[in-house]
Amino acid sequence: MAAREDRPPAVELRGITKRFGDVVANDGVDFTLEEGTIHALLGENGSGKTTLMSVLYGLYDQDEGEIDVHGEPRYFDTPRDAMDAGIGMIHQHFQLVEPMTVLQNIVLGHEPTENGLVDEDAARADIQEISDRYDFDVAQYLDVPVRELDVGVQQRVEIVKSLYRGAEILILDEPTAVLTPQESQRLFDVMEELRASGHSLIFITHKLEEALTTADRIAVLRDGKAVGTVDPTETTEQELARLMVGREVLFETETRETTPGAPILDVQGLHVRSDRDLLQVRDVDFTVREGEILGIAGVQGNGQTELVEAITGLRDVESGSISFEGKNITDTSRRDRIESGIAYIPEDRQTEGLVQDYTLVRNALLGNQTIAPFVNRGVIDWGAVREHAESIVESYDVQPPDPASNAQSLSGGNQQKFIVGREIEHEPTVMVASHPTRGVDIGAIEFIHDRLFELRDAGLAIVFVSSKLDEIQRLSDRIAVMYEGEFVATVDPETVTEEELGLLMAGSEIDDTDDTEDAEVNR
Amino acid sequence: MSGEDDRGRARSAVDRAADRMLDASVLERLAIAVASTTLALVIGLVLVAVTGYDPLLFLSNVIEGAFGDNNAVARTLRFTTMFVLTGVAVAIAFRAGVFNIGVQGQFVVGGLTTVMTILWLAPFLPQGAVGGVALIVLGTAAAAVAGGLYGALPGVLKAYGDANEIITTIMLNFIAVGVVGYLVEGPFRGEGNRAPNTERIPEYVEFPRIVFDSSGFSIVGLAIALAVVAVVTLVMARTRFGYDMITSGHQQDAATFAGVDARKTIVTTMTFSGAVAGIAGAVFAIMIQGYYSDPSGVATYGFDAIAVSLLAANNPLGVVPAGLLFGGLDSAGTHIGIYSDVPVQLIDGIIGLVVLFVAAPELFRMAAKRTGLGGESR
Repeated sequence: MAAREDRPPAVELRGITKRFGDVVANDGVDFTLEEGTIHALLGENGSGKTTLMSVLYGLYDQDEGEIDVHGEPRYFDTPRDAMDAGIGMIHQHFQLVEPMTVLQNIVLGHEPTENGLVDEDAARADIQEISDRYDFDVAQYLDVPVRELDVGVQQRVEIVKSLYRGAEILILDEPTAVLTPQESQRLFDVMEELRASGHSLIFITHKLEEALTTADRIAVLRDGKAVGTVDPTETTEQELARLMVGREVLFETETRETTPGAPILDVQGLHVRSDRDLLQVRDVDFTVREGEILGIAGVQGNGQTELVEAITGLRDVESGSISFEGKNITDTSRRDRIESGIAYIPEDRQTEGLVQDYTLVRNALLGNQTIAPFVNRGVIDWGAVREHAESIVESYDVQPPDPASNAQSLSGGNQQKFIVGREIEHEPTVMVASHPTRGVDIGAIEFIHDRLFELRDAGLAIVFVSSKLDEIQRLSDRIAVMYEGEFVATVDPETVTEEELGLLMAGSEIDDTDDTEDAEVNR
Repeated sequence: MSGEDDRGRARSAVDRAADRMLDASVLERLAIAVASTTLALVIGLVLVAVTGYDPLLFLSNVIEGAFGDNNAVARTLRFTTMFVLTGVAVAIAFRAGVFNIGVQGQFVVGGLTTVMTILWLAPFLPQGAVGGVALIVLGTAAAAVAGGLYGALPGVLKAYGDANEIITTIMLNFIAVGVVGYLVEGPFRGEGNRAPNTERIPEYVEFPRIVFDSSGFSIVGLAIALAVVAVVTLVMARTRFGYDMITSGHQQDAATFAGVDARKTIVTTMTFSGAVAGIAGAVFAIMIQGYYSDPSGVATYGFDAIAVSLLAANNPLGVVPAGLLFGGLDSAGTHIGIYSDVPVQLIDGIIGLVVLFVAAPELFRMAAKRTGLGGESR
């Protein structure tokens, strides 16, 4: 245990309890953030990390418990109160107005005024000063609309925004979820910079490695309870994982003993437009064979979404062709593709994969509306659907194991397990899995990976999109890297390094071409 | 960010209330509706007293007018029949997330179609009961087709032309009323009619009056309305078509993911909704009017139906009690208008008060569901 300093802790939470109806999201949680340190808050999804920080930030009222900031008891009714006490929060989804410039976003709500007019020069000077002090690149983008910036820069804008408002305590909610490895490193540098200048940081994450390398202390939450606070120099990934999950987790690597068979899915010269009518997929070719997993790596927004939607029939193709088992399916409907055996684990489980207001029984019918025995001549057999839902819940370990519960009452991981189960039970020939483990806890990640391996061994052709490099390396037989709509390289997961993948994802070329194959690999 | 800041204390109070409403059981919701009606009536009575009329007499008039005698009950059930049918038409569309404000227009088109179909076909069919039943069936079927097509039109405009259905259906209401008004004024006007009306449909084309012998109501009409409720409920609950429709209404992206063609669903929903509105028009024409007249200004069930449906949380089954409440209030209003000197505006105001009080908790509940008030975990 680190020695206590003389100063009172920056934040002290005592016995915080927060209930939503019958669900106890935080159960008597104690948490202490020492002045000038980085404190990681580690836990699986649904363990109550974000709820705890939302209580601190004034977004929720706690049912029980007390908050001290710099030794003073405080009660925050709104985020405004928390900001006034010097607390800033960088949300997972940035709170930026996209069409407005960086300058406008930073001063929004705290505009310096002179005679009732916004004093832009004063704002500029202040932001410049903050930028210089912490060595940020934000000042050079002041007049650029936020939507034209990379995610990494947007995140730094968020941080500057908080600092501009006088935040001394910063809460970062899963800040690396949207970043490439290089950008993440840059963020960690920024965090250290801030700590060095006396700021105190809370870093929410479910990634063990990040917590271990960046934090001074790590608090672990499980099922809404604080299960331990550890010193990163005195612990291991295994121990942290055990604390987080409550049981032993095996990080074993799968041996690849696959012999891909006949080609199943063939994509040639594919061009696809985005919702904003931009050409988001450019001239992509690939073939996936029986018993093969093609991983598609890339920073989000480089065309993966559009590519996947074109394959699954959710988006029209600009040009090019998609063939499935030798038949051209480029213009067939989504329904035809579902029926012909193309299953899809969608990128967005909240809006696409599940109807939030429906029970799991009703959700079990989603996508199965034309498939016997669930529906015969347009009439639904709810008995058969219910049995199906029960079997998914049981075989895929969905918690709570009650098919009558509403989808929205499930945690992210359990929602995902239900979707994975439903899509696998289609008995498909092709599985398209888009970020199947995003926001999912370690136990469920392991489970979903195992299911995908089983599908591969059963001879399915699998297209798998992820921005997590370790995952993509672990699962894929081949990795295609997508950058600005193109397959810039196809690499062997055995030989490529995370750094090389990160560089490729950021659009750089790798000099050493031994590891790369041509983008149009048909083997 | 600032939006979140400003809500403050009020927000957490609203959150708790929303939380409570979302957890309310069906029985609790019914109890809330009864309590709201009572409260609104009490306030209404105060208004009556303040304006110088006898509140107790007013109250007894309300009760008498709604179900005081055979005649009052028949009138209440007549209005109820119409509110249930038009309310279901609205509920179908709203449930699927399509805002059909054009039920009135589809209702009018259906009504005229029924009358004209019966008038045209009557010479070819035997007179008497058999011919009467045949004409009722054909007239109603024609109304369903006409109402369906008139509903499909804004559906197509929305699905393939991106035209907002609220605006197009409102415009089509005006068009329906105007065109039907012109037709009954000119081409379809009965020979020798002084008023702009069609000819009467033959005497034998009517619903048998088994109970409540009263002009303008037959238990058969109410039975048709309840049968439509049953069919619509079954379609919604037990068929792929209903599932696709409701799923589109809940979450369009999930429906699309599941292979539902969004455009087709909009058109079929509007057609289905319009067909039920057309049937409502047929029941109005056969049971109540017996001919068709200029539809401007009279029998605006299609508009009240929106309130009925909202009150029923767009649930076809819930439309029955909601329709009964509206039917009773309108019936009481009619009675008071005739038998007391309380101005009709005050009566309408009190009816409005009741509707507002009953609907507000339900609307709040729906808003809570949509906006995620009452806790983010839902």
